[in-house]
Amino acid sequence: MTVDLAALIATLAALTMLAMALAVRPRRASSIDFYLAGQRIGVMTNALAICGDYFSAASFLGVAAAVYISGLDGVWYAAGFAAGFVPVLLFVAAPLRRFGQFSLPDFLGRRLVSDRVRLVAVGVVQIIVLSYLIPQAVASGITWSLLVGSGVLGLDAYATGVVVATTTIAGLVAFGGMRGTTWTQALQFVLMMAVLVWLAAVVLGDGFSYTGAVAELSRAPLRNPVLVDGQWQLQPVVSALQSDAPARFDEPGARYSVLGQTMLLITLMLGTAGLPHVMNRYFTSPTGRGARRTTVWVLCAAGVFYMLAVMLGTAARSVIEQVADTTPWLADLTVDGVLRIPEHAMLTLGRLSAGQAGLATIAIAALVAVISTMAGLLLAAAASWGHDTFAGVVNRRATQEQVVLAGRLAVVGTAAVAAVAALQLEPASLSALFPSAVATMVTWAFAVAGSALTPVIILSIWWRRMTAAGAVAGLVVGSATAITMFLMALLRPDWSVATLLLTPTPVAAPCAIVAAIVVSLRTEVPVDLPELWVRLHGTAADRAAERLARLTIRGVEPHQPASGELRVEGTGRRS
Amino acid sequence: MNPTADQPIGRDEFDTPAEVDAVFRTQRRIAVAHFVVFFAGLLSIPAVTLLTGWSSENWVAQSATGFVAIGAGLYLFFFLLGMAAASLATGVEHRMLGTPTDADAAEPEP
Repeated sequence: MTVDLAALIATLAALTMLAMALAVRPRRASSIDFYLAGQRIGVMTNALAICGDYFSAASFLGVAAAVYISGLDGVWYAAGFAAGFVPVLLFVAAPLRRFGQFSLPDFLGRRLVSDRVRLVAVGVVQIIVLSYLIPQAVASGITWSLLVGSGVLGLDAYATGVVVATTTIAGLVAFGGMRGTTWTQALQFVLMMAVLVWLAAVVLGDGFSYTGAVAELSRAPLRNPVLVDGQWQLQPVVSALQSDAPARFDEPGARYSVLGQTMLLITLMLGTAGLPHVMNRYFTSPTGRGARRTTVWVLCAAGVFYMLAVMLGTAARSVIEQVADTTPWLADLTVDGVLRIPEHAMLTLGRLSAGQAGLATIAIAALVAVISTMAGLLLAAAASWGHDTFAGVVNRRATQEQVVLAGRLAVVGTAAVAAVAALQLEPASLSALFPSAVATMVTWAFAVAGSALTPVIILSIWWRRMTAAGAVAGLVVGSATAITMFLMALLRPDWSVATLLLTPTPVAAPCAIVAAIVVSLRTEVPVDLPELWVRLHGTAADRAAERLARLTIRGVEPHQPASGELRVEGTGRRS
Repeated sequence: MNPTADQPIGRDEFDTPAEVDAVFRTQRRIAVAHFVVFFAGLLSIPAVTLLTGWSSENWVAQSATGFVAIGAGLYLFFFLLGMAAASLATGVEHRMLGTPTDADAAEPEP
């Protein structure tokens, strides 16, 4: 397979997804259809779509790269990413769905009966969405450069990649809405998982021994390429746990101290529950119970995904080192058998396992990972601008058509902002940083989400005394603390605590919780709290939906709510 | 006779505030208890590193086996814990909310 053929396949895949999105697009101009896919997404489909949303290039290429370069310390990334869904399952999934709104800001605004909370939450969501979206656009440009190597219409390869990716995804989301995006994201995750399983099978079939490779790699101290006076050379990695000892592949310390491990795990774990593009998916589930079961399946899929990614990172370190001397094309990529850019680990392993076809397959899967995450982020932006801001605050009497149009315009606008920002970044200067810059911005998104949105969401669900003023205080203090710590780390990378400042959630989240509690205790709760509480923690709507499903399966045609009519769960009211 | 589009589907479902409050308190206990177990498991590796150091002689770090166990075992732990919590939470809701009616009893599971 030539690289041109790979580009053709990638283009065909994009067109297939666009066609699928158009085929299953919402037929009515209803906000429930456009933003929530009619709240009829099944457990497995939703679980696969959440995985498609969640597993970006940072997961697909980044986890294997982290293990490749840091050994056991790279596993913490995978552990933190997967762990994030346990708090979601325990504290958020079912009540969030039972309350039944359109987005996280909408949930907070209605639960606390406050437009101010809604607008502040929209602001936090925009910070998270753009922090996540811009690096995905950058990654799509660089992946296009690697995969195709040439541009169209006078653009260079990088710019072509950025423009093609953002335009295609914006079109997919704007026309397909949540329903079209859900099916394409589910398909995209299945493709990513299939590629991982295929590569693992090929590697194991070639005689790779997991435990044997770890033992072999751990015999000598870990050494990684470093640029010294313009020359690449391998240098031993000093353990962060013992300053006079070398780090080893199978031991912690190659990157993080004990405190660093802990802060990274907590930042990633708490961040997931506040990611708007992931959490908005829970509103598409028919019931709260379905949302809970969906999360169990996500945990299962995430476990398999990250287990394979960790194994393939180890395999890349072992296999590339073994064949570097006898494989001429590796000379430009490696220093004494170790890749200069760790994110090339999966791509290189794919090429070693199946030639150019293997390289193209991995590159396409990476591009698919970028596309599926961008689609979710654009949908989250559409919901927060189109529904939460336009219909929720600016024009409460907006028609369904106007709300959907506002969402579509928000998709196009947000995609344009991300594309322009990505094009402003110099790919040449990024090549030395990439994907460090990408990973850093994604970590920022997790940090802001876990520091501001997650504490406020969990308190709003599990603490009756939470008030609108308390939520605003929590959102502002959490996000301001996280951003300040992050900026300090970027401005003063020479500080000894800089690595810790890059994972601010363990400090910022408690600050947000304290601020929310102190302010809430001094202000009044909503007057209709008992009704809100029944709606949040009762299961009447679940039971009604399940009864409806049973009767539908038996061939009954029950009364259907009119288009756009939203049933207020747990109370029997309609709004 | 089967209901039609114009007829209600059995009686309206509803929960009383007192029932919901009781379920809420039980669910909160379940969630917090499982979270404590989860958090302890998640932080056990940094804790072992802090308390006992990490070397090839350490009982956790039997070199390759320990690495593979961490690279795969953590996810199994997350999944099993999540499945147990979800089953328990759903069972509690089923027992404490929504009195089954005769119609419910007659309806087969899909």
